[in-house]
Amino acid sequence: MEIDLLQMVENGGCSAKISPRQLEEILKFLPLPDDPDILVNIDTHDDAGIYRVNDTLALVLTTDFFPPVCSDPYEFGQIAAANSISDVYAMGGDPVVALNIMMFPSAKLPMEAYAGILRGGYDKAAEAGVRIIGGHTIDDFPPKYGLAVVGYIHPEKIITNAGVRPDDYLVLTKPVGTGIILAGQRLGIASPDDVEEAKRQMKLLNRSAAEMMKKYKIRGATDITGFGLAGHAIKMASASGVSLNISMKQVPLIGNTYRLSEDGCIPGAAFRNLDYTTENTLFAPDLDYNLKMIACDAQTSGGLLMSVPEDRTSALLSDLHASGLADSAIIGSVSVKKQKLLYLNN
Amino acid sequence: MIIVDTCGQKCPAPLIATRRALREAGSEEVIEVITDNLTSYNNLSRFLTDNYTDFSVSEEKGKWTLRITRRSETGSFTKPQDYCSTSPDTFPKGDFIIVFSSDRMGEGADELGHLLAGNFIKAVKDLDLLPEKIIFYNKGVILVSEESPVVENLKDLEKMGVELLVCATCVNYYKLEGKTTTGILSNMFVIAQAMASAGKIIRP
Repeated sequence: MEIDLLQMVENGGCSAKISPRQLEEILKFLPLPDDPDILVNIDTHDDAGIYRVNDTLALVLTTDFFPPVCSDPYEFGQIAAANSISDVYAMGGDPVVALNIMMFPSAKLPMEAYAGILRGGYDKAAEAGVRIIGGHTIDDFPPKYGLAVVGYIHPEKIITNAGVRPDDYLVLTKPVGTGIILAGQRLGIASPDDVEEAKRQMKLLNRSAAEMMKKYKIRGATDITGFGLAGHAIKMASASGVSLNISMKQVPLIGNTYRLSEDGCIPGAAFRNLDYTTENTLFAPDLDYNLKMIACDAQTSGGLLMSVPEDRTSALLSDLHASGLADSAIIGSVSVKKQKLLYLNN
Repeated sequence: MIIVDTCGQKCPAPLIATRRALREAGSEEVIEVITDNLTSYNNLSRFLTDNYTDFSVSEEKGKWTLRITRRSETGSFTKPQDYCSTSPDTFPKGDFIIVFSSDRMGEGADELGHLLAGNFIKAVKDLDLLPEKIIFYNKGVILVSEESPVVENLKDLEKMGVELLVCATCVNYYKLEGKTTTGILSNMFVIAQAMASAGKIIRP
């Protein structure tokens, strides 16, 4: 039997996230624990929580899991693991150990699919230097997979959503469009080349991008996932008390993302993110409709968005290009806080 | 009429079918899109609204029919300036007004003065607190005429809730009747009152 995980899901990957607006509403009612050793919590909508162990060591804790984004179990395992580990990189940490989280419909899928997903996860974790030391599986449909990851970080070298400063430039390390391409794949209108490229980007660890952040002493960054470029930009701007200006024409795109959007291949998650971003965004009057929706496209295992001081921008960018992140680009800049958190232009 | 039945289809398939129909239909042709999926219905509505397409909706037994009657020729929006969803009260105002008595800023070369006036108006948009009002009299009224290079920026400010008062006598004197594109034509009493009640007056 040919295994095709995509036949099991409507929304794959980070598109399956709950609406950010709903999430904020619910989290408002949960008291945050008060402990001076909690260095980063959900308050700033960061990618991971950070807990101080002593003056030189803190733990980065994060988890992420989602339904399939591709047909092949092994590839799905790789992508889910890269996505889970990415949150540690986005905070400037070194991922160390992880646990598997798996939901698997044993009556509907052969066990070789189960093994394939886990093997993909193990191989990707190994590439990142992460040891998977256990996990938990539930019989459930549709399948979902991800990791809970623990990383190390120096308590004074944390990179957060709140570290973005006016006059910095914004650098993005991966092209955008995985949500649109994957939707196009399900409908059979995305080209095989584009699907391959989207999968390659999703499997790509954010490790070298994170190393560059450390080298250039970056203090503000996040990874772009389910809330889309615009949604994550707003979370950064809000946490840092600044406004971000993004030029959508500078944003690198995967293959024919723009053409697919022009054809109407805009997944529901993009509309959900648009809903969330509208209140805090000034869309330029002449902003191309497709570029606006691409800014809201939910990404799976997307790149890092960094706030980079001007004097380090060009050196950082050439180092990113040299490290194999050829699509890295300056996509905008930071200003003091204005009326809106995000200004989206062509 | 073109009927696009997307029942049983999930997002974004209905949107793709709708966009194709919009491209293929004649400019006067009516398109009816049918969906049985609430999410798709919401997203289609949002898409059509965002693209300045007029449509009406009827619902029956969990099926929505969107009847598209008018659209822009290119399929993209016709009035981009309306696209900014900026409601005036989201922009805080300071207790000050700006007065332009000339279409130039400062003394010196005319060309430089024009340039500076334009840059000043652009910069005002980015202020933390916007002015309550901007008043234009004497040669200042040229700034709101149709030849003015800063008209778009002034229209933006007006949309952000800044009141633009334009001296009607001055418009007549410079023969700009019917050529002002933004602002409210006002008499000297209104202008005097605005200046007298302002906390601060800035004269660039």
